[in-house]
Amino acid sequence: MEYPKALEDLIQAFQHYPGVGRKTAERYALFTVNQLDDTMVSNFSDALLQLKKAIHPCSICGHLTDVDPCVICSDPKRDQTKIIVLESAKDVFSIEKSGNYKGLYHVLNGVISPVNGVGPEDINFTSLVKRVHDDVVKEVILATSATQEGEATALYVNRVLKSTDLIVSRIAYGVPVGANLEYADEVTLTKAIENRRVY
Amino acid sequence: MVGNNGVGKTNFLEAIYVLGLAKSYKSDDDDLIHYEDEFAKITATIVVGQRERVQSIIISEIGKKAIVNQTEIKRLSDYIGLLNIVAFTPDSMNLIKGSPLGRRYFLDVFLGQSDRAYFLALSAFKQVLKQRNELLKQYGVSHKIDETLLDVLDQQFAQYAQIIIHKRQAFIDNVKEKATTVFQQLTNSDSLLTLKYLPSIGNDIIAVLQSKRKSDLHQAMTLMGPHRDDFEFYLNEKNAKDFASQGEQRLAILSITLGLVDYLSEITGEIPILLLDDVFSELDSQKQNYLIRRLIESGAQTIITTTTLSDIMSANLVRAKRYTVAKGTIKEEQPSGQHD
Repeated sequence: MEYPKALEDLIQAFQHYPGVGRKTAERYALFTVNQLDDTMVSNFSDALLQLKKAIHPCSICGHLTDVDPCVICSDPKRDQTKIIVLESAKDVFSIEKSGNYKGLYHVLNGVISPVNGVGPEDINFTSLVKRVHDDVVKEVILATSATQEGEATALYVNRVLKSTDLIVSRIAYGVPVGANLEYADEVTLTKAIENRRVY
Repeated sequence: MVGNNGVGKTNFLEAIYVLGLAKSYKSDDDDLIHYEDEFAKITATIVVGQRERVQSIIISEIGKKAIVNQTEIKRLSDYIGLLNIVAFTPDSMNLIKGSPLGRRYFLDVFLGQSDRAYFLALSAFKQVLKQRNELLKQYGVSHKIDETLLDVLDQQFAQYAQIIIHKRQAFIDNVKEKATTVFQQLTNSDSLLTLKYLPSIGNDIIAVLQSKRKSDLHQAMTLMGPHRDDFEFYLNEKNAKDFASQGEQRLAILSITLGLVDYLSEITGEIPILLLDDVFSELDSQKQNYLIRRLIESGAQTIITTTTLSDIMSANLVRAKRYTVAKGTIKEEQPSGQHD
């Protein structure tokens, strides 16, 4: 039997979320009908609408923000000479949580992947090139993932920025802190040895 | 395992092969699942010295799942290589006569089992190749190309191709040496069996890609690289594909097979399981004798299928367990007399 239309609409809405299939979406929708009272539902829908109205990418760095420019870009205490380049806004939150980086960010919001139809012009890249053309920025730190696509994106950014006076660096790969060497795979270990540093 | 043709002997060997490699040498994944069922599952207890482990592989429409001692192994690349398998089957004959695709598959299967760095380089290479070909294809439509992006993909291509080519060369050199000896002993002659690696691209990979860029763009695909590699068999310096008899080709592949058992034992420290599908019937008694001696020396657990048990096999394989296969069921023969 088919679901009534309103229920079916909600099921399909939930299915747009990553990791949510038909079965889970059905569970969420039925839960909404059976377990949530009207106030909870209206708070939920308000939160969704408010989110889309209030949150947008920062016009400078591409990070998600409710003010423009974002709090990081407009903070004069941040080190204006360094920019970390990231794949997604999620990564900004991770690095901020670590609390030790005081420079700026640039969120590409994607990685270069011809197979997925994503070229350099489809990610937030041109704005990075413009951004580093003032004389304030001294170093660009590439922190895209160590996947083929993340690596290709980093190599691409490096090639474009190489002609400038900027220092372009790549974050190190290696053994996770607190992990035993015996649990690291051969390729990680090889990278860790290649990227070793002098004490 | 003794039984008539078509009773399921090969299926049993194929199951062991799939358990080790998560993939068949002859069937697509879909064909491994019984047509009325949702999935296929193969489970075996593997005993190595004093240690025991239970390995399972489940193949279903949505993918494959590997389980070792009740723990799911998340990445198949961490699973393949735990149980090493070497097989000689009627399909093996294609190694000399068949297409380069089969020979590259052969290289990938054995290097992938024994060398994790190769496995990872190969997966990364395949992805870069896909990206590069897609970019070339886009050029065919728009006639515009981001040269910098192509340079980046060339750089990644070269990085992984170099690892693959280097490891393939070392593998072929190593196995060649072992197979040459086996072939001479098997044929009781001084005939020289060799393998020659034919890499599609030379040492300076980036330079080659640069020089071929125009034709790559024109054809909308990457024309050179490890995905076009090949190797050839030579018998007394003549190409075995054209100049060796059917029997000689068979012995050459059998020699490679036995060489691989030693290779995997040496590299991984664990003796692989050897699957021999219908080999003995084609060998004369002297070669059967040698093969049996060689199997015992290698220490490899060997599973042999045959339609009839020859006198030589019967006399020499005294410690072997014997099974009769009929209509898809396998029954152990009770040892008679003094067999242990």
